Amino acid sequence: MNMQSYFPVPPGVGMEENFLSLDDILLSHERLPVRSDCAFPRLGFLEKSADTQDIAEGTKMELPLWLTKGLYEKKRKVVSVELPKVYREGWRTVFNADPNVVDLHKMGPYYYSLGSQLLHFDSPENPDIAQTLLQTFIGRFRRTMDSSQNAYNEDTSAVVERLDSLEKGASCLM
Amino acid sequence: MTTSSGPWSDCMPASLAAREILCVVNVREKSHQTRPNQTNKMDPSEVEFLAEKETVKIIPNFSLDKIFLIGGDLGPFNPGLPVDVPVWLALNLKQRQKCRIVPPEWMEVEKLEDIREQERKEKTFTPVPSPYYMELTKLLLNHASDNIPKADEIRTLVKDIWDTRIAKLRLSTDSFISQQEAHAKLDNLTLMEINTIRAFFLDSLNCMYKLRSNLQPGSSQGQFMDY
Repeated sequence: MNMQSYFPVPPGVGMEENFLSLDDILLSHERLPVRSDCAFPRLGFLEKSADTQDIAEGTKMELPLWLTKGLYEKKRKVVSVELPKVYREGWRTVFNADPNVVDLHKMGPYYYSLGSQLLHFDSPENPDIAQTLLQTFIGRFRRTMDSSQNAYNEDTSAVVERLDSLEKGASCLM
Repeated sequence: MTTSSGPWSDCMPASLAAREILCVVNVREKSHQTRPNQTNKMDPSEVEFLAEKETVKIIPNFSLDKIFLIGGDLGPFNPGLPVDVPVWLALNLKQRQKCRIVPPEWMEVEKLEDIREQERKEKTFTPVPSPYYMELTKLLLNHASDNIPKADEIRTLVKDIWDTRIAKLRLSTDSFISQQEAHAKLDNLTLMEINTIRAFFLDSLNCMYKLRSNLQPGSSQGQFMDY
């Protein structure tokens, strides 16, 4: 019986984020590789690698998710988002082959949530990304369930280290 | 499985009937934005509390007239004559050394061995000796092991039965998730077993639903919030 007076807001899985959720706030700090489609005059100070006054068109930068979501618009081409390494074709085949082997904590602790947010950016590979996310989750379900119920009867901290934050929350293995 | 016919059976809440058939419908059809103060967990101590309503036979060594409680009447107590009482009262009297507990008829080595063999043979769940077999075993063996013959063997047998059933449950939830089925029916599950997977299973189904809704573009394409 939960008698706590502080109820943390859970992260919003899927394409919405919960505004008040700490996990989602931390998630939106993840950086995405972005290409600017128009010039940003006098914002050169944001781009640390080049010392120009303006950001020219076609510059490749890394912007956090919150900024990218705010700037992205389908009609006016302001920025275009490239997929991070983990969501590209190569890694997707790894996930489809055996999801249990991968260390999801190292791939960015917010693999599922970030992947769902990426679907906002209308990449042609969106259906494949969504499918891979789902299949990875299902593939790892057995391992996560067994370790959350202490079925292995041994130290599970090695398994827990490799879990995404979503899986950790579900299995209360935080 | 014997159901008690005394006054206590009327206080069984309807939610406990769900232990007999567990129908898990895919969460897609329900609204499931878990609000922060809605936990989907049930404490094992709560399950034990519900188990203490089961009746057990005791032999008191005192005498007392019939007592009238809200839940029902407890028959007159005469020394040496067996009487049916709920487990909570039986344990309390035993701790005050006012009675001797008679083990339930299913709590015997041969019967439990048969149940264990049958559980191992069948692929589905077999009917249990009591809907609270795990809790009753633990409570009675902890407090009244001197009244129960071969207590250690019984403990081992019940643990074996529990392990087999939990393994079957894990297997069936795993196949449910990996094949993304929409409906499952499991008979003869007890509340304690359901409780072990309840929280994790429901959370995972929630996550799966939301990840699956990503596959349908346009249906959940939300507007960007204006930060």
